[in-house]
Amino acid sequence: MLAAVALVFGALTPLALQPAAGSEAEEPTTFTVAMDNEVDSFNPFLGIEAESYEMWALMYDYLIGYSMADMSPEPTGLAEDWETSEDGLTWTFTVRDGVTFSDGEPLTAADVAYTYNRILDGGAEAATWSSYLTSVEKVTAPDERTVVLELSQPNAVLPLLPIPIIPEHVWRDVDEKAVKTFANEPTDGDPVIGSGPFELVEGTAGGPTARFQAREDYWKGSPHIDEVVYRVFKSKDSAVQALIKGEVDYVADVPPLQVDALQGQEGITTNQGDSPGFDEIAFNVGAVNTKTGEPIGDGHEALKDPDFRFALGFAIDRQRIVDTAYQGSGTPGDSIVPPTYDNWRWEPPAEDAFTFDPERADQLLTEAGYETNSGGERLMPDGSDFGTLRLFARSESDTSVTVMDLFKEWLADLGIDSEITAMESNRLTNVILDGEFDAFEWGWYVEPDPDSMLSYLTCDQLASWNDAWYCNEEYDRLYREQNQALDDAERVAAVKRMQEILYYDAPYLVTAYGATGEAIRTDRWACLQSQPDPGGIWLFQYGVTNYLQMRPADQAGDCDGVTNAVGAVADGTDASGSGAAGEVESSSSSSWVLPTVAALVLVLLAAGGLMAFRRRASAGERE
Amino acid sequence: MSATLTSSPGAATGSAPAARQSYARYVGGRLLGALGSLAFVLVVNFFLFRVLPGDPARTLGRGRFRTEEQLEQFRATYGLTEPLPQQFVTFLQNTLTGDLGISLRYRVPVADLILDRLWPTLLLVGTSMLLATVIGVYLGMISAWNRGRPVDRVWTNSTLTLYSMPEWWLGLLLIATVAVGAGPIPGIFPTGGLNSVDVDPGTFDYVLDTAWHLTLPVITLTLAYLADYALIMRSSLLDELGEDYLVTARAKGLRDIAVRRHHAVPNALLPTTTLVALNLGFVVSGAITIETIFSIPGLGLLATEALSIPDYWVLQGTFLVASAAVILANLLANLLYGVLDPRVRT
Repeated sequence: MLAAVALVFGALTPLALQPAAGSEAEEPTTFTVAMDNEVDSFNPFLGIEAESYEMWALMYDYLIGYSMADMSPEPTGLAEDWETSEDGLTWTFTVRDGVTFSDGEPLTAADVAYTYNRILDGGAEAATWSSYLTSVEKVTAPDERTVVLELSQPNAVLPLLPIPIIPEHVWRDVDEKAVKTFANEPTDGDPVIGSGPFELVEGTAGGPTARFQAREDYWKGSPHIDEVVYRVFKSKDSAVQALIKGEVDYVADVPPLQVDALQGQEGITTNQGDSPGFDEIAFNVGAVNTKTGEPIGDGHEALKDPDFRFALGFAIDRQRIVDTAYQGSGTPGDSIVPPTYDNWRWEPPAEDAFTFDPERADQLLTEAGYETNSGGERLMPDGSDFGTLRLFARSESDTSVTVMDLFKEWLADLGIDSEITAMESNRLTNVILDGEFDAFEWGWYVEPDPDSMLSYLTCDQLASWNDAWYCNEEYDRLYREQNQALDDAERVAAVKRMQEILYYDAPYLVTAYGATGEAIRTDRWACLQSQPDPGGIWLFQYGVTNYLQMRPADQAGDCDGVTNAVGAVADGTDASGSGAAGEVESSSSSSWVLPTVAALVLVLLAAGGLMAFRRRASAGERE
Repeated sequence: MSATLTSSPGAATGSAPAARQSYARYVGGRLLGALGSLAFVLVVNFFLFRVLPGDPARTLGRGRFRTEEQLEQFRATYGLTEPLPQQFVTFLQNTLTGDLGISLRYRVPVADLILDRLWPTLLLVGTSMLLATVIGVYLGMISAWNRGRPVDRVWTNSTLTLYSMPEWWLGLLLIATVAVGAGPIPGIFPTGGLNSVDVDPGTFDYVLDTAWHLTLPVITLTLAYLADYALIMRSSLLDELGEDYLVTARAKGLRDIAVRRHHAVPNALLPTTTLVALNLGFVVSGAITIETIFSIPGLGLLATEALSIPDYWVLQGTFLVASAAVILANLLANLLYGVLDPRVRT
């Protein structure tokens, strides 16, 4: 057997070494990213995956930029400034001069207006982007540098406009019928035309790799790297191994255990950044048929009672959830706006902050009429049997299943019986829409503007994204108020009040704010800045700052003054704390673990042979 | 899609023209059967995936399609709002003209996606199966011929050990050792993927590069498949060993190796042929585990990922291609058997 393996190796090794040797020649500086999913579409009107958003950011520009500190809008995009009319119905943006597409054509206000108008005209474009242009009636470009948005009513979410600006002179040939399958990929070796800092030279939707080349003439200045390559790794273990070997320079979404394992690796720096979002236990607070108003499904009566749900908030040990279900990578949660967005966030008052306090939970339940019988079993206010709560977990997420296991225990401590069903999320979606559940575990990503997150819990979203079937008129009124507010302070007040209502009504019990693990070869690369700064992530951010800022580690210096970037050296001291700056050592791992494992396998392989000989020997003796 | 090969005793009699005629009828019957299965699969395919739970617009659009209007826009654009019977008619018309629909996730024609993914899968699974067949049959032959001797025990136990190892574990182990490099072992192979990014397709370097990338996954898969062929070959050769004609052959004074090669092995190859032909059909279904571990963009991964959306047209397309391949392989096996073993032609 071993001989056979050796033979195969022997036969292939000469082949193997040839291409490796052939590519030794002068190479461009290439930054290689390992990611989970294929790009679903390079067409910015079609793609949905986070990976695609990252690629468009390299290929195109946006009207608005987002700050590294807290993702607030800033004039670092195509618009060098903007203003709003008194009544909030007219937004005027001034497009900067000197921006060109990669084919040399200038980018003007007309391209911006064209992009937005395609979305307003409906179809596939509208499916993806129309929520950012709510109440926008008309987009015009009165001159080359002015874009005017006319609204039917004020829209406080503007200028959140993360829509890639496409070249009109290319896309006018792609009509409404064609756009829904238009791939926007390089054809006959010609890169895709865009105004962004990189050009897509290789890549297809659903393909394993994508390659981008830097543009020398980008308006913010040429990137410090020549190429960015994305490689899809369907297995996180393989991606991490590729990072250790040096085949890739960055791995996204590294699980906490792998982050720990990578910590001692020479030349690799890891990061646990805030990912702006939350996970929650959601309740069926009253599923209804939205047309007739009749109740549907079979949700438990007790969960229609806000006092009951709020009491359960004290029965959840959020720290234990973070420690076990999240392996420590995250923070306990309370409000639906995560701490990342502290300007929008409402903090619960100290006396009502959810702590793990089963006694208080018990007391609140009893006060609300849910008493226990002599056997410790919880009863309904009318003294009848409580029955069983049906909890649902998403089977593809270990975190989800673990959280529900813990929740079941805590419910049992309160004398409440429950059962858990784990199912795939697309099946769970059906169960939720039918109202045939009592509670489930899921989560949401929260954008830099909380408007969309807040909208999911309005009555308008019943039978759609409002998965808790929550409907509260006061909440809806505040939603409209903040959505159309002209004054920022007023808007923030309304947003905070909405979070407060949700906290006490408790359709969701927020369990945790997750964190995203990342790992990068700091022996080769430096000057990546986290977003939000500090505490955020290095890549898959809002905007392309890091692709412009990053450079080979030996050229790091002070990263042009961004001294808290990874690998930045300020006045001869290492400001990043990574200790990796300047090390140019790209050897692969040589820990003792791997050889041991390899030896183990050889032993296993030989085991069959050894056993055979022994059995043969004993058979011979018997004869 | 049953692979049973019925045999009936005493069918090998009759004159030559009659035999030819009966073979023609046999072929005709098998062809009709295959076409029938294909038509059946076509219909079942459509309805099977429609009863899958989930709404593609919601699975894909969570956090992106904010409003009911956006979800509706998406559904309308990609034909999900049409009534089911209408969708079915469109599906039949399209499939017959070779149009497999548009992927809901990738928004490109499913036929293009499948063509892109077919090649890696064929290379990976086809090569592994070929290697496993050749090596496995040889090992099985050696084992049977030396039944009970050390060489038999070594090969049989080794292939069984490999067979019982999880594929992903074996794959990861190879990555951790010969791809990353460990101790004295240099990391000579890539950790995953099918090609380097900077090699031009169509050049000889590209071929070498692909071979270099496929080495580890092919080794893993070959090792996993090996026992299948080795054991079948071993047992069918063992069945032949006691036969009278071998005694006759030896009595004629033939050398041992000639007896094995010209008398025993040809007869023992029949069951192996069936296995090979049947497995051939499964080549295009891909090898999901290995495709995942080594990040090889194959059909197996495409279908698995489409299932969670559910991306109806991708599922229909991949299953149609996979079923067609299995049906075709079955047909070939049947026809081949008709030639190899005249008794089955009834």
